[in-house]
Amino acid sequence: MTIALDKPVAASASLRERFEKNRRTAISTLSVIVFLLAWQFLPMLGAVDIRLTSTPLRVLKTAMELVPTADFANDLRISGVEFLAGMALAIAVGIPLGLILGTSRTARLFIDPPLMAIYATPRLALLPIIIVWLGIGLASKIAVVFLGAVFYVLINTMAGVTDTDQRLVRAAKSFGATRLDIFIRIILPSALPAVMIGIRLGIGRGVLGVIVGEMFSSEAGLGNKIMTYGEAVRIDHLLVYTLFVSLCGYLMTTGARLIEERLRSWRPQA
Amino acid sequence: MAQIVIEDLAIEYKKPNSDARFMAVEGISYSIEKGAFVTIVGASGCGKSSLLMALAGLIPLARGSVTIDGKTVIGPGSDRAVVFQDASLLPWRSVLGNVSFGLEMQRYGGGDLKERAMHYIDKVGLTRFADYHPHQLSGGMRQRVNIARALAVDPEVLLMDEPFGALDAQTREVMGDDLLDIWERDKKTALFVTHSIDEAIFLADEVLVMGKDPGHVKDIVKIDLPRPRTNDMYDSEQFNEYRKILRNHLAKDMADMRMQTVAEA
Ligand SMILES: Nc1ncnc2c1ncn2[C@@H]1O[C@H](COP(=O)(O)OP(=O)(O)OP(=O)(O)O)[C@@H](O)[C@H]1O
Ligand SMILES: [Mg+2]
Repeated sequence: MTIALDKPVAASASLRERFEKNRRTAISTLSVIVFLLAWQFLPMLGAVDIRLTSTPLRVLKTAMELVPTADFANDLRISGVEFLAGMALAIAVGIPLGLILGTSRTARLFIDPPLMAIYATPRLALLPIIIVWLGIGLASKIAVVFLGAVFYVLINTMAGVTDTDQRLVRAAKSFGATRLDIFIRIILPSALPAVMIGIRLGIGRGVLGVIVGEMFSSEAGLGNKIMTYGEAVRIDHLLVYTLFVSLCGYLMTTGARLIEERLRSWRPQA
Repeated sequence: MAQIVIEDLAIEYKKPNSDARFMAVEGISYSIEKGAFVTIVGASGCGKSSLLMALAGLIPLARGSVTIDGKTVIGPGSDRAVVFQDASLLPWRSVLGNVSFGLEMQRYGGGDLKERAMHYIDKVGLTRFADYHPHQLSGGMRQRVNIARALAVDPEVLLMDEPFGALDAQTREVMGDDLLDIWERDKKTALFVTHSIDEAIFLADEVLVMGKDPGHVKDIVKIDLPRPRTNDMYDSEQFNEYRKILRNHLAKDMADMRMQTVAEA
């Protein structure tokens, strides 16, 4: 019984796939170009008010001036520290708690009602009370990021654990695996992809938390600048910060997705 | 004394959506000699897997006892290894990693673990595929990995639950031949569940025929074909006799099943 597994995909199929992929890339690129051109030239034609929309070239020029400044670096550092600290805390709390809740039914029943109550509350609605408790400095922003991200990490970790294939657990038991063996060798590896999904979703919420937190009350940070320039109607400055935040969020989410895909490379391709 | 002694065994399960319990298997008494190859046949749902899981120590007994080499079974042990009916390979581990898994769980300390795992991978003919992951293998290859994983821990008793269930007839036959080769070299006690009458006869010293509602021993058919078994035996007069006996048992089950479906309808 010899089975060749070396060349599973026919050459013609892969060619067509490549063509299809190129076509998709071309269409997406075209859409971006059309948008940028419209943004650049519609104000020139007087179709829209340039003071409200700025132009891509203008935004680019402002970005080149702003980004190298010490002020920008300072805002980035403040927002970055708030985000990273909140995120680290969310991971440090969310994963262990998710593992415990996934493993123990009693713990799950006990913690489910308060968890769901907070989960169902829009986290930003808690902002005022957080500020009352923690002030307008670093701590309150870390708390907002934490609250935004921790549930995604926790709930996905928990789901990863409870979704563990019981047939694998049984097989491990048949070889005399201890509870610790089962936890480390079966439950952890099968929950890992779900944990990464939780972290990826948490990153999105965390970025949102930092920016809105800063917009709401702060003395510095990227969100603070977005608010300030928004109120001053300086659209090019505002957009530099907004687009920068989008870019950061996009890069981090994409990074998390790449790790996620690596972690589940053992899964059959869908 | 026999190696495996099953006495008045009963297995209960909870009914779905209620607290009521029902007997899946009741009153099984049966003994197996060391080194024997026993195949188990019977209608779907008659408790073959349940019996095997009880021997593996993976489910509690409602009544009765199982002893192996004089020791009462109270849980899994390194004297037994199971080849499961359904997927039980770790999808994130390679063939090598999966075959090593049982050894790791049993804290194998007898030398190079990898070398030993490779030895058994070689035995089931998968040396070239040692680095493959389960989803990259065919169904037959996956079952070979399952068998290698069980053999690698060198158990006294091999419990196999329809290991060839998902395979086509030709592959089954080849795998059956290979399994007998391996078994004849090591002479482990083997219990092997199957739905194929020919397979049951070809492999066995003894066929345990089970009946339903609740699961019980219906008959024990001794197979007096010489070993090693060869493929021309399938056509022998003797083989045909065994075929008739087993088909009779199972045909009656099927007739009962049809009656039941009609009655329920
Ligand atoms: N975990 C379980 N919970 C409840 N009932 C179960 C469970 N496992 C098996 N049963 C029931 O016990 C009976 C015997 O099941 P078992 O799996 O042992 O049959 P089997 O002979 O192996 O069948 P098959 O040939 O289809 O594999 C069936 O009625 C089944 O519904
Ligand atoms: Mg079964």
